[in-house]
Order: sequence, then C-alpha cells, then structure tokens
Amino acid sequence: MKYIKSILLLLGLFCTTACDKDFEVINNNPNVPTQVSADLLLSGVLRNTINDQVGEAWGIGNIVIQHTAKIQFVNEDRYLWGERNGVWNSVYGNMRNVQNIIDLATANKQNNYLGIALIWKSWLFSLATDAYGDVPYTDAIKAKSDGIYVPKYDTQESIYAGILADLAKANDLLGTTSEVVSGDILFGGGTAGIARWRKLANSLRIRYLMRISNRRNVAADLQAILNDRTKFPIMEANADNASLTYLAAFPNQWPLYGSRVGSFDEFRASKSLVDRLLALNDPRLPVFARPVERPSAVGRVEYVGIPNGLGDTPALNFNGGPQGVSRVGLPFACLVCSSPAPVPNVSRGLVMTYAEVQFLLAEAREKNLLSTGSAETFYLNGIQANMDYYKAVVPTEYNINVTPPTTYFTQAGVAYTGTSAEKLQKIGTQKWVALLFNGLEAWFDWRRTGIPTVTPGPDNLNTNRVPVRYIYPRTEQSLNGTNRAEAVTRQGADDINTAVWWDK
Amino acid sequence: MESKACIPMYTQLLRVLASQQMLFRLLSVGFLLTVLNLSVQAQSDQTITGRILSADDNQPMAGVSIVVKGTTFGTTSRADGTYSLSVKPNSAIIASFIGFQSQEIAVGNRTTVDVTLRSDAQTLGEIVVTALGIKREKKALGYATQEVQGSALTIARETNVTNQLAGKIAGVTVVGSPSGIGGSSRVTIRGERSVDLNKNQPLYVIDGVPISNGFTGASGRGNLEVDFGNGASFINPDDIESINVLKGAAASALYGSRAANGVIVIKTKTGRGTKGIGVEVNVNQTAETPLKLPEYQNVYGQGNANGGDFAFVNGGGAGLTDGTDEAWGPAFSLNKNYPQYNSPRTLNGQPIDFRGGDLNAPAGSLITPIAWQPESDNLRKFLQTGNTQTMSVALTGSNDAGNFRLAHTYLSQKGIVPNTDLKRNTTSFSGGYNFSPKLSANAFVSYVKGESGNRPSISYGTESLMYLFNCWLPPSVQLEPMKNYWMPGAVGTRQAGWNYNYHDNPYFTVFENTNGQLYDRIIGNVSLKYDFTNWLSLQLRTATDYTSEKREYRRAFSTQRFPFGQFRDARIISEERNTDFLFTANKEINQNWTISGTFGGNQLLQKSDFLENNAGQLNIPGIYNLTNSRVPLQTSQSIVKKRANSIYGSAQVAFRNYLFLELTARNDWSSALTLPTYARTFGTQDNSYFYPSAALSAVFSDMFILPRAISFLKGRINFASVGNDTDAFTFTQAYNPSDPFGTSQVYGETDRLANFNLKPEISTSFEAGLEMKFFKRRIGLDITYYHTNTRNQILNIPLSITSGYNARAINAGLIRNTGIEVALNLVPVELPNSLRWGVDVNFSANRSKVIELSDNLQTFVMGSRRVNIEARVGERMGDIYGTGFARVQNTDPKLPFYDPTGQSVGQMVFASGRPVPTASLVKLGNYNPDFLVGINNSLSYKNLRLSFLFDIRQGGVLYSETQTVGREGGIIVETLEGRANGYDLSLPGNGVIGQGVKVTATNADGSGTFAQNDVKLNSRQWHTAWTAGRSIDEGVMFDASFAKLREVQLGFTIPDRIWGRVPLRGVTFSLVGRNLALWSKVPHVDPEALSFTGGTALPGIEFMSIPSSRSFGFNLGLKL
Repeated sequence: MKYIKSILLLLGLFCTTACDKDFEVINNNPNVPTQVSADLLLSGVLRNTINDQVGEAWGIGNIVIQHTAKIQFVNEDRYLWGERNGVWNSVYGNMRNVQNIIDLATANKQNNYLGIALIWKSWLFSLATDAYGDVPYTDAIKAKSDGIYVPKYDTQESIYAGILADLAKANDLLGTTSEVVSGDILFGGGTAGIARWRKLANSLRIRYLMRISNRRNVAADLQAILNDRTKFPIMEANADNASLTYLAAFPNQWPLYGSRVGSFDEFRASKSLVDRLLALNDPRLPVFARPVERPSAVGRVEYVGIPNGLGDTPALNFNGGPQGVSRVGLPFACLVCSSPAPVPNVSRGLVMTYAEVQFLLAEAREKNLLSTGSAETFYLNGIQANMDYYKAVVPTEYNINVTPPTTYFTQAGVAYTGTSAEKLQKIGTQKWVALLFNGLEAWFDWRRTGIPTVTPGPDNLNTNRVPVRYIYPRTEQSLNGTNRAEAVTRQGADDINTAVWWDK
Repeated sequence: MESKACIPMYTQLLRVLASQQMLFRLLSVGFLLTVLNLSVQAQSDQTITGRILSADDNQPMAGVSIVVKGTTFGTTSRADGTYSLSVKPNSAIIASFIGFQSQEIAVGNRTTVDVTLRSDAQTLGEIVVTALGIKREKKALGYATQEVQGSALTIARETNVTNQLAGKIAGVTVVGSPSGIGGSSRVTIRGERSVDLNKNQPLYVIDGVPISNGFTGASGRGNLEVDFGNGASFINPDDIESINVLKGAAASALYGSRAANGVIVIKTKTGRGTKGIGVEVNVNQTAETPLKLPEYQNVYGQGNANGGDFAFVNGGGAGLTDGTDEAWGPAFSLNKNYPQYNSPRTLNGQPIDFRGGDLNAPAGSLITPIAWQPESDNLRKFLQTGNTQTMSVALTGSNDAGNFRLAHTYLSQKGIVPNTDLKRNTTSFSGGYNFSPKLSANAFVSYVKGESGNRPSISYGTESLMYLFNCWLPPSVQLEPMKNYWMPGAVGTRQAGWNYNYHDNPYFTVFENTNGQLYDRIIGNVSLKYDFTNWLSLQLRTATDYTSEKREYRRAFSTQRFPFGQFRDARIISEERNTDFLFTANKEINQNWTISGTFGGNQLLQKSDFLENNAGQLNIPGIYNLTNSRVPLQTSQSIVKKRANSIYGSAQVAFRNYLFLELTARNDWSSALTLPTYARTFGTQDNSYFYPSAALSAVFSDMFILPRAISFLKGRINFASVGNDTDAFTFTQAYNPSDPFGTSQVYGETDRLANFNLKPEISTSFEAGLEMKFFKRRIGLDITYYHTNTRNQILNIPLSITSGYNARAINAGLIRNTGIEVALNLVPVELPNSLRWGVDVNFSANRSKVIELSDNLQTFVMGSRRVNIEARVGERMGDIYGTGFARVQNTDPKLPFYDPTGQSVGQMVFASGRPVPTASLVKLGNYNPDFLVGINNSLSYKNLRLSFLFDIRQGGVLYSETQTVGREGGIIVETLEGRANGYDLSLPGNGVIGQGVKVTATNADGSGTFAQNDVKLNSRQWHTAWTAGRSIDEGVMFDASFAKLREVQLGFTIPDRIWGRVPLRGVTFSLVGRNLALWSKVPHVDPEALSFTGGTALPGIEFMSIPSSRSFGFNLGLKL
C-alpha cells in the first residue's frame, strides 16, 4: 500500500491548478472569423445571386420564353420540369447574409449598407415569389434571431406589399449616412454608387408596381415616382444599368465561360427569336445567334432557329442536324465553344436595365397608369438603349454591327402605330428581346402580359400549356410540411400550371 | 458561465509527460518508479534452477513468470525454458503464463525444480484481449466478443484488411470501396445507431490505443471525388496477431465515447515466446479480375434513333450524329461503312498520319469510311488484370530479459483500372524488456509509407470512367485506337478522342489526369509496467498515430472540364495522441473469491491540418507545379484540434471461478463540448459525462452437474451506457472566405446554425447471451440478444433553407437497435487419422428503429443522391425514399388517380405513354439487410487444409444510377427492348407500350376514368420515360440480396522433417481466392456498392462504381 500512497502523493504534487481552462481555447476555431464587416458579405451576396441569375436564365429562363431551345436533353424544353430549386436556394441561401448586413448596418447606423441590403432583399424575394408564388417572407431567415425553424408562407400579395415598402424605405435611407460602401461590385461604391442604388430602388419599384398592376391600382404610386425625379431618381441611361461586369480573370469570368462544348451547344437559338428578329431585320440577331455552319448554299450567312419543345430525335435532326441550327451568340459563348477563344467577360450579369425601365413606362403610359410622358418616346428609348448596350459591350473583333438600319424604327413591325393593343404588343415584343439573359424576368413578364405569343412545342409534355410556376422544392415536404401544405391549399395544386396571385 | 470541470490530478502529470520527448519520458518515469521501488531485494539463501515445459507439446516455454510465493520477488524463464531463482529454504514458487494454468510448487530443499504447465484451453480458459489491452479469460466476460486470428488475414488477403471481417464475425457489416486498390470501407457493428451516416463506424484500437479512421477531405474545386482510403485501410495485416471485435457497449465502456459503435481491437505480433531467433517469411501473389461487368448492348452504334446513317466529321455535331454520345444509332452491319473517329485520313488521295479524330489534320483531308462494327467488350479490354504482391519478413527473438519483433512488409498493387496503383511499405518494431522482475517496458512502432501514382476518380462526371462506360460510350466506338491519346503534333495540348462535345478519352483520363497520393504514417506506443506486488501493477503508456499526406490532382490541357489544365495540391497532417495510466489489481481473497480491478486515466489529443492550393489553370502544359499557375491560386486551410480527458475504473468479482461480475465507470471531459470564450454567454456548458456498465456471467456447467452432452454452458447479461461528444468547433458560427472578386474580399456565414446548449450523447444498451458447447465441444453455439437506445444524438438536422440555414445542431433523437447474433461452430467429423471438418456459421439480424427525432421533426434526411436516405419517426433506419410510379387507387378520393370502380386499382398510370411520377416521395425499401449469414467450412487432413467462406446477405435494396443513365444513353442491354427491328415503329418488336392505364376522363368529383394504356413510345423515349428523365426512382431499385464465395484457401504444410538440416520450418503453401463468385439479382453492378458524396459513404446508392474484383493467387509462408 505504501507504493500507492507514494504514487498518489507524487501525482498530487503535479496538480497545481484544478481546471481545464485551455479547453475553451482549444475549441475556439482558429480558421475562420465569427464576425465580419458588412462589405465582406456584400460582395459575396452580389456575386452569388447574380451568377445564379445567369445560370437560371441559361438553364430555363431563355428556354421557357423561347429565346433559346434545346437540341439535346430536351426535358426542360418539353416542360418536364420536375423540381427546380435554383431560385429557391439562391434567394434563401443568400438572404442569410443579406440579413446579416441589415443587422450590422442597423447596429452601426450605416444607412447606405442598410439601403443596399433592403434593395437586394426586395429583388431576391421578388424572384422567389414570382417563381413559386406564396413563399416564406415574414418568418423567413429568423432561425438565428427568433428560433423560427419552420417559417410560415406569406401570400404573394403581402410579400409585394413588403417589397414595395422596403424599396421605398431604401430610397429614403440611401445617402443619409456618410459611411463609404465597399464590397459594392455592382455599382463600385462611393457617392456615385449610392446614386445608382437609389435609381435601382425606384426602377425596381416601377417593375413591381407593374407586376401587380393587374390586381391593384398602381397608377398613383407610379405617377408619384415620375412626378418627383429628385426624390425618386430612376435609371436614366445604360450607365445606370444594374449589371455586373465580370472580370477577365478566372474565377470571376462570365459564368458560362467554363462550360463544356456539348453542354453549351445543347442550347441553340430558338426559332421564335430568330424568326422575329429576321422579320424586323434586327441588328441584334448576330449578338444572340451565330450563323449556321452548314447553310443551305455554300457561303450564305444564314440564321436558323430551332423550334422549342421538340422530342429528342427531331430536335437533334432538325434542319439536317446541329450544323444546320444557329448556335447561341459569341458574346455568351464558352472558352472552348469557339475558335478563336471568345473574350471571357463580354456579357454582363443583368439585374435590371434602363431599357426595361423605358418599356415599363411605355406600357404604363399606354395603359394610362401614367398621365405624363410619351409612350412612344419611352418605347423608342428602350429599343435604342438595348442596342446601345450591345454596341458598347460587344468587342469590335466580333464584327457584329449593332447599328440598326435607318428604316428599322419606321418599319411597320417597329413603328409605334396601330391600336393600343397592337402598341402594347410591340412594347412587349421589344421588351422580350431586351430581356434576353435577364434571369427569369421575360418569363415573369410574359405570364402577366401574354406578350409575345409563346406556343408550346409540338412534343411538349404539359398538354400544350406553358408552365407558369415552379413547384416547391421536394425537401419542403419534409422540412416545412405543414406550412407548405397550407400554402398549397390557399394557392392551388403544387404544379407548374397553377397561376400565382398577380397572374390570376 | 464558469467552467467547473476539474482536472483530475493525473492530468497534470500527463501534461508534463506529454511535453517531453518520448525517450526522456520513458527514462524519467522508469527512474521515478525505480526510486520508488525501494525494497525489492529479498534475502535469499538458496538458488534453484529448472525448466518450464508445456504439457501440450513438451516444448520449453520462455517468458513464464516464476514468483516466490508470498513475495514479489521472481524471474521469468529464458528462451530455452530454463530459469534460476534464489529462494529461501522451504518456500514455494508460483509459475504462471497467460493462457496456462498457474502452478504452485513447494521447493522443499530441492535445487532443481522443473515445471510442466497445462494449457488453460483444456479448462476452457480462452484468452481474449479486451478494453485497454487487458487480457481476460473469455469465460469471465459478460458480453459478446468474437475473434479473427491474424493468420486468417494474411493468407487470403485484401489490401484493406477490414474487408476481411465480412462473413467472419456475426453482426459486422462491411461495405467495400467503389474505387478498388485499398480504398475505404464502411464497417458497422450491430447496425446503425446514429442518423449521422459518418458516425456509425467502430473504433479501431491497436495494442490498447485508439487510432484514427477518418475519411479526409471532400473533393471540391470542380473535381470529382477520389477515395484516398480511410484510416483503417492502412493497417498492415502481417503485423496483426489477432482482431477481436467487441460488439456492445459493455465491451467497450472503458474506451470511451468513440466505442459506442463497437471496437475492433487489434493486437500486434510480438517476439514473445520465440525460441532463439526466428525468421518468418510470407509471400503472397494474387491476380485480380473484374468480378462483375455491366452488360452492354452491342446491336446499335452511336446515333439518336433517327434511323439514318452515321458520319464522323468533328465529333461535335458537324457530321451525322457525331456530336451525340448515345447509342441509338444505326444497327451494326457488315454492309455499312462510315467515317469514324478512328478512320484513316487521306489528303489528295494519299494516306496521311492523321485519324478521323485528329481535328488538327490538314484542311481538305478526308476521312475514309470504315466498317460499322460493334465493340462489345470495350470495358473488359480497357480494364486490365490487376495484381497484388506482398512480401513480408519478420525477425523475432526472445529471452528471459526481453523480446523483439522486427518486420517489414512490402505491398505493391496494380489496379484493374490501367495506371492505378498502390505501394505500401510497412516497417514495424515491437519490443519488450524486463528491467527487473517488476519493471518491464514494451514498445510498438509501425511506419507506413504509401504511395499511389493514381487513384481513380469516382462518381458521375467526365473524370469518372464508369460515367463514360456505363452511360455514354456507344459500342460503335472502338477503344483500342484511343490509346494514342494525343493529336499528332499536339502532344500535351490536345487530346484525341471520339467525341469532343462532352467526353474525355478514357486513356487520357487515366494516364494524364491522375490523382496521386503520398503518405507517411507512424503508429506507435510505448508502455512501462511496474508490478508493485504480485497483485498490483501500474502501466504508463503513450501512443501516437501521425500521418502526413500529400495529394496531387493533375489535369492536362484539353481536359473537358479544364481546358487549361489544373493542378491541385493538398497536404494533410493528422495526429492522434493518447497518454494514459492504468493501475491493475488482482487479488485472490480465498478459494472462493477473487477480486480484481483497474483504475486509470487518459488524455486524448486529436489534431489535423488540411492545406490545399489549387492552380485552376496552368501556363505551360505538363508542368504540375503551383508556380505554373496562370490564375491566382485558390487556397484553403483548416486546422482542427480536440482534446478529451478521462478517468475510469473497473472492478471484477469472481466467485469460485464460475460466477463473474464486472462493473465499469468512466467520466470524460471533452474540449468539443466546451464553449469557446466568446460563446460563453450564449449557452450552458455540459462538457463532462459519466457512464457506467455492469456485466454478469455464470458458467452453469461449472456450477451444476449437467447432462453429459452439455460440455459447457454459460449465461451472460450486461447493461451499459456510453457517452459521446461531438466534432471540434461545433460551437463555431463561422464566416467562411471564398474567392475574392477582383480586390473585393468575399465572406459568407456558414449555413449551419450552431447550438450553444449541446449536451453529450448517451447510448444505453442491454445484452444477454448464452454460450453452449455440446458433445465434447463438437457443437458450439453462442447466441446474443441486444437492445440499444441511443439518445441525445448531436445532429446537424436539416432545416428548410427558408429559415436562413440549411442545418442546425441539436441534441435529438432516440434510435433503438435490437438484434440477435448467432455463432454456431460444428465439428461434424474429427477422426483419429487427423481428418477434421469444421463448420462455422455466423448469423445476425439487426433492426434499427427511429423512435423519436425532435419536437418538430418527423423526418431526417441522412443522405441524398437522387434518392433520399431518411430517418422517419416510427420507421426503420436506412429507409430509402424517392419518386415512385403513380398508381390507380381507391382509398382516397382527394388524391389523384382515384378509381371509384376499383377496376384499375394498382395499375401504373401513363400519360402520353409515359409513367407518371408520384406527387410525393414514397418508400422504396431499406438498404439494410434483413439478415447476414457467413458460413465457413474448413477441412483438414494431415498437412492439407481447405476452407471456403460463403457470405450471404438477405434483403435490402439498392438504387442503381447505372440503370437510370445507362438507359438514357442506350448503352445497357435493357435498351434493346423496343428496338428489335430498329426504330421504325410500324415494324414488329419496335416501340414499347407500358403496362398500365391512362386517364381517359377526369370526372367532376376529381375521380378518374381509366383505360388500358395504348400509346407506343419508341425505344429511346421509353427508356428515358422509365425514369421520367431521372425523376422516377422506383424502376431502378433492386433487391440487393446476394451470396458471395468470399474466400477459398487450399493449403499444404510441408512437414519439417523433409528439410533435414536445411533450416526451413513450417513451410505452408496455399492457393487462395477472394470474392470468387457472386450470385445477385442486381444487374450490371456488384450490390456491395458504396457511393461517396462530400467524403460521406452513402450505402444503398450505386453511383458509377468501378467494378469490384475477384482475386486469386497463392501464399507461401515459412520460418527459418
């Protein structure tokens, strides 16, 4: 026994302090911060969501609205959509960091950051509700702050009320504090950047007022914006466009730049787009499409679009095979899709453009939701702005001349003539062209206006109906089942043919 | 809140010890103990000598302890069995050796005392290694263990030794790697307890010390997954003396947290007991061939079901269907000649050295049409016969003062995929030295150097071979010409192939786009043992498992995903250190009672440092160096550290050597459950957890007189609990950096929400068992029933992302496992002429049920890849949910396809001839087997030995991605359905009308009117419609039951006398085979497939696994 005693005694001598305090240090993660400033979050949020928007345009937006069509893997072009979670994950996945910016900016009284975050929050929630209908809004992103793990779905109507209020609030907040915004990869920060954010806020308000204009009288709100351009600045030129300029350097190039040839060339110019532009002799056609490699006669420069919604075999064989169908234009092409290699940052990540604002105003004026301004001027400005935009971004070595012939604006298909319905048709068609690669906006707009005509492809699998909605992600059934079920009961069956509130 | 967890006294000692060099540590402790050992010297009047012999074979025994009774003074026998010892007159000595019955001999006034020890086996005293390396008599154990001898692992081998447990141990499930060459395997014991798929693996322990068994590193950065092997896959089987599997919590309570899923206790070989110097040599050589290859169709070539011709122009759509990668093209025919990628080219009528696929050929050159022939055996020809060589030499020696074993094993493996390999050199040293009869030291160190030039990329994507072969390689494409994979004059910059739209040339993939690995691992431990008295000893031990690994991903120019190539370099350093002390006491109170006990403490330290640099594009082709990056390097780094302190003890009471009670208790303090300083205000800390166990066993056959037929009967019962902590940094709510945008740095909050109130997990179990032997042990039966409740699991439960987060850490859940295990050992024949036939059968069945999750969680998605692995309350663990075929029903008028007439109920519903998917997920089965059976037969006659092991798994389902996509591509043999005569639907045998109904009208009340489906789809449409374009899973689920001839050995031992004076002994030659035959209902693939996603092994989901292989060869073992 004495040995044990000796040992224990000796062990005891080693025991000076009695607590494992260093555990707190060991378990303190040395790799990453647990707090960062708002600018570091802002750059990520902007990049991620705009990249997602480009991806969504490419993957489905351009297809459903028939800017492009597929020659292989034609499921989405035949309306075999399944679940489409891209927008959902992008909006809610990034909203966490938007909320962090809001919290930081609120705590630090940084109204510029707060205003920017509110604008971005509004834009993102509009994407979610336009794509899915009723979605979590009031309760959303409150797991950390309020312990809400199963957010209720709000009605689209109330979401739009919130969005419009936030945009107005952002317009009021921006510029009222003096902090310099960094991480603003969209507008470059500084005073000039703040001014452009304000223009975006009000331009988005116009977009969303028009979005709900079939269900609500928005005339007064629209007119108020137009009446006081100092208080409510809106986009005045392409320089005000909310569009992300990509970098020449990897990994911040045009998101499609790294595609495989086949994955890029599965997507071709749609017959709907090519035929409409050909009919107008539109100079933007070479921007959107490349001449076919095997024209009907040697040496001819020929643009052939493929009809949307063909079955696998007819799609791949259309016009004698892929060489008889126009590829998607060079400004959007991937590194290995073209020889010589295209410039990696021609195309922009579009959120909203001056051209769209002009078309919105043209429509509003034509519908007498506005009582000032000229619908024709707005309309012509919109066309010109979109052409100017491409003129500015397409490199000269592409040899694409985006200058319209003088007759362009006077031809019957373009001139602002005809009945009011015909005028709206022209506005809508030009807007549709201008919204190419602008996320899902052209689809949202078509669902509201029905312009231009979108005819489901011959082999579509949705009984000749163009989808008007995404279905909720499958995981919501298990993770937020009750609230999802409640939304489905309110809104209608969870399928791609159920119209959302503003579309009813 | 203030951390109140107090450091046990020993922690300071351990900390001091741990801070020193190992040698110094040893010396200082040795010195300390020597100083304390003040009164060892005993007065002695008389020297006795003698020899210790074994009663079994009359051979001398080395290392036997001889102690003067009533003192602590003694010695051990030398290599030749002799000893000498000074004793007082008329004293008695006690000779003892593990596995033998101790003997007490009165010396009287003799000077020579020879002792013959009887093997304990004769009294059933089977010895097993249990927790903390403590050897115990098996009959005293109150819980189930099962053992595999090392020799069973080195004759018929696998590079990953854990694969060899399959079928040999009841209750153990092993699922092997999808990549071949010593990849990871997933071992589970008694089913799954945790809904975190990564947390169900057992703890691996070498010589009483845990080692790490992690999968490290998710892939990321645009690359597919590569299986670089998990920790246990590096263990060298040649150094293993035995593997003992401790299945339940009671068996493992003393190992702490990580033992909740059972423990695999590996005891390494030592030189102990060697007579003189021994040399052992083992040579093993096997060849590997694919066990099961997919069945491809070889009737139609590349194309898209248009019925037209094929012509290669640029492999990108310029020709006739040359841009597609599907096999819906023209039928093969002797009369057809088409320009193809491997056609010769001519310029102005003259042949030139360019092929069709060489797009840099001179302008105006023409591609000569060549025969349109099937290549039905592309994959078989692409794969090669692998081979594995192992050479192992061990040198052993022992005398009364010490023993050693020095061994080296060289393993060289060439995979069945070309240019994949693994080389592994293991040098091990094990030594023991008796400084005095009371103080002894032991050390084991094993240095493993491994190297692989290339491990294959797995899963779905261009870097994966099976993505090409199973989905997108039409049989018209002859592979052989692709071996020359560069275009002429463009070596290093442009690969040549058959399709430039989507695919890499597979030879280019395996020879240029390699995933190399280099690792150095040291596993070692040193221990010092001091016997205070003959009943009390102290052991101090420290152990390290240190791995330094480098991984290199090379991608050449013109790779589909990396036109400018890529070079990714990862360095991983991981370390686990355990330092412990253990007092052991063993006291026979009187004839009836023996009491023994242990008391110990452990400090665990785990550290890892993962550093990766990625050059996303390269400047100069072929230079794989980070300085050759043409874009900014992308760096990621993660340093992880975790510590746990533990204190534990056990007590055993034995009554008359037939009734045994064992109690254990342990308390852990874990850094992983300690709130970091900044988080202390956010939650309540609970970082200390206590868990006890109790086990009772009774040998009825010693207690009562039983019928003669019953030779042995023992019952055992135990209750146990095991606590568990969690991963390091669980309390961190991190903001993670990502690639900057120009000069703007980018951060984002992690999508998992931390929880600052986590408690330790706790798992409690009950186990009862019966061991029986009949007819002089000709029949042995061991039956175990167990029941385990695992509570408070620390989970990252998925959240609806609308909450802002994808997951949240919580304590939740109650998973209940129940099961039975039966081990049956039969000796149907045992004749005096040495003919013996033994049959060992292992049976196990486990059911893991989800009793509860958390308040508002009814479903937990454990893993997802096309289908979900979900834990749903009230259901079985391992259920697979996915989209099914919609069917007509008459149970709920509100649901779709309600048929009030009931006539069409159960029929599949078709729309436009296509199966309609269910609106919500349906249960498609469970991946866990209903039961497992292993049957091993062994026959021996004189020097011949034959054994064969069948491994049977009944039940369970498998999702097959090969089916899903192989159908789309028209590649697998099923796609011949609907194109018996080509693509013209007016011809018989063409097109498919699905068996089921279509909706002809929807009535006002929502119910439907149905008629037989009569819409015919062409074969291409049909096979895509079968999964609704990868949306319906039901049609590609298969019964995963199988039987495998897992192992065959035919051995012959050459009698030693043949060698005469040649110093060869124990020469055994064996023919061996593993995985020789497979019986299964799953088409194309081995049902034991495992898919990987983000470093997690997903059972039940096949996702382009590389074919598993059978191996056969020989093994030669000899001694000098």
